[in-house]
Amino acid sequence: MFDVRDLHVAVGGAEIIKGLTLAVPAGETHAIMGPNGSGKSTLAYALSGRDGYAVSQGSATLDGEDLLALEPEERAARGLFLSFQYPVEIPGLSAIAFLKASLNAQRKAHGQEPMPAPELLKLMREKAAALKIDPEMLKRPLNVGFSGGEKKRFEALQMAVLQPRFAILDETDSGLDIDALKIVAENVNALRAPDRAMLVITHYQRLLDYIKPDKVHILVAGRIVASGGPELALELERAGYDKYLRAA
Amino acid sequence: MNQLVDLPTRRVEAWKYSDLRAAVDERVQFAVRRDRAAPEVVAASTSAGIIGALAAQAGEVERLSIVEGEAVVRVDRPGGDGNLAPRLLEVDVAAGGSLTRVVVQRASDAIILDAAHVTLGAGATFRQFALAEGGRLARVETHVTVEGAGAHIELNGLYLAGSAKHADLTSVITHKAPSATTRQLIKGVASKGGRGVFQGKIVVERAAQQTDARQYHHGLLLEAGAEVFAKPELMIHADDVQCAHGNTAGGLDESAKFYLRSRGVPEKQARAMLIEAFLLAALPDGLPTEIDAELRDCIGAWLETSI
Repeated sequence: MFDVRDLHVAVGGAEIIKGLTLAVPAGETHAIMGPNGSGKSTLAYALSGRDGYAVSQGSATLDGEDLLALEPEERAARGLFLSFQYPVEIPGLSAIAFLKASLNAQRKAHGQEPMPAPELLKLMREKAAALKIDPEMLKRPLNVGFSGGEKKRFEALQMAVLQPRFAILDETDSGLDIDALKIVAENVNALRAPDRAMLVITHYQRLLDYIKPDKVHILVAGRIVASGGPELALELERAGYDKYLRAA
Repeated sequence: MNQLVDLPTRRVEAWKYSDLRAAVDERVQFAVRRDRAAPEVVAASTSAGIIGALAAQAGEVERLSIVEGEAVVRVDRPGGDGNLAPRLLEVDVAAGGSLTRVVVQRASDAIILDAAHVTLGAGATFRQFALAEGGRLARVETHVTVEGAGAHIELNGLYLAGSAKHADLTSVITHKAPSATTRQLIKGVASKGGRGVFQGKIVVERAAQQTDARQYHHGLLLEAGAEVFAKPELMIHADDVQCAHGNTAGGLDESAKFYLRSRGVPEKQARAMLIEAFLLAALPDGLPTEIDAELRDCIGAWLETSI
């Protein structure tokens, strides 16, 4: 389903991702763990097409389609979703207007009519309730004055509304207290499906207690240095990254 | 009586970014001079300034008194059919009185000069929101003088300087009495060939202790060839005051644009949404519904034609 081969990514002329290969089959959830500066966020941004993240070599495909040739909005329309580590604040744009524009832009790309407003509101209310998001929050300017937990819950709400084929969750656990983490994880787990796959990027093992991965990959210095089952995350929690850092 | 106003050159500090003399020379001067008999030059240093002098000459001066406890809401729409449209409003707000003024300066090819001089008594309130779409040269100039203690000022505005438009928001707020608050937020956008100007001076005199003044200006340059000039000035002569100011000018927030695009919103739409959001965030709360709607319509229409 999601396939990355020998990917090289440079930021500001410096190569950060140095030949990364990864395959996430449909129905699976994989985790990428790595220390600070290993290239986790660079990978997430490069895969979603952010300017300034230059792919010099390699490929990334979703359902066999070359993602790297597409604009960020086209990747989103194909079903790629990135849950941001640091969701951006946009004063003057309400959370609900952001969500509505996102959903309808994707519907348009699929040749569908915009979702009628009552249906849209019902959908958002329903999904917001599952995430224990106060509907009043959706009227506020996007992420402005949201707590860390509110921001991440709103990312999870976007994911629930947009129903992506492949989701990348970049450090979803950062800024979350344990209660919010459980709620977010529950909702992410509810989205697990045979025709959907996810990539969970995290520094700490904690998140993986709640979103249980099928496979764990360890990213060090821009390369995957080890892959294994969930037990790999536990070992990492115990022994740290030292072993891999020394090898790299 | 024919008078000629001695127009400022760009060497006059207050008109450095708005070259009134050049604009008038090109469009108006000849018509004014043709029928003069014995021109009498009006000095630029009169208390109501250049615009006041031009407004007096044109018979466009209005005086308004707001009595104690009275609350007035008014909308001014500077402009007109001529090449040069000066106006002066002089307002005296008595103790506890309140004036809410909305200025809607729609895009024009003329020279539009709008000045207001507002004097505030104790506990008086002045709220203004000015939308300036510019003209050949357009300035909305506001002078506020705090004469009584505890006055409250909100002086906000937005300039939308489209191609070949010059939109200038200038203000001078003078705190002469203590314990007054000033809140100023000016935002604006400029397209290629457009020029936005913000000049904002806040003076806190020695007697004006416990003044609380904040001034912010944020200019958004939409493309290469757009111009924004900002001159924020705080002159503080009292020692027990709180004053803050911030001034930025730049392009669109790329991370916000990427956020929208990563959700499927095409680049052009993302850009339009962000510019609109930037502008709408400057609209104050609590304006009468129909005025708020008019301002939103103006912004929407400007965005549709300008980006």
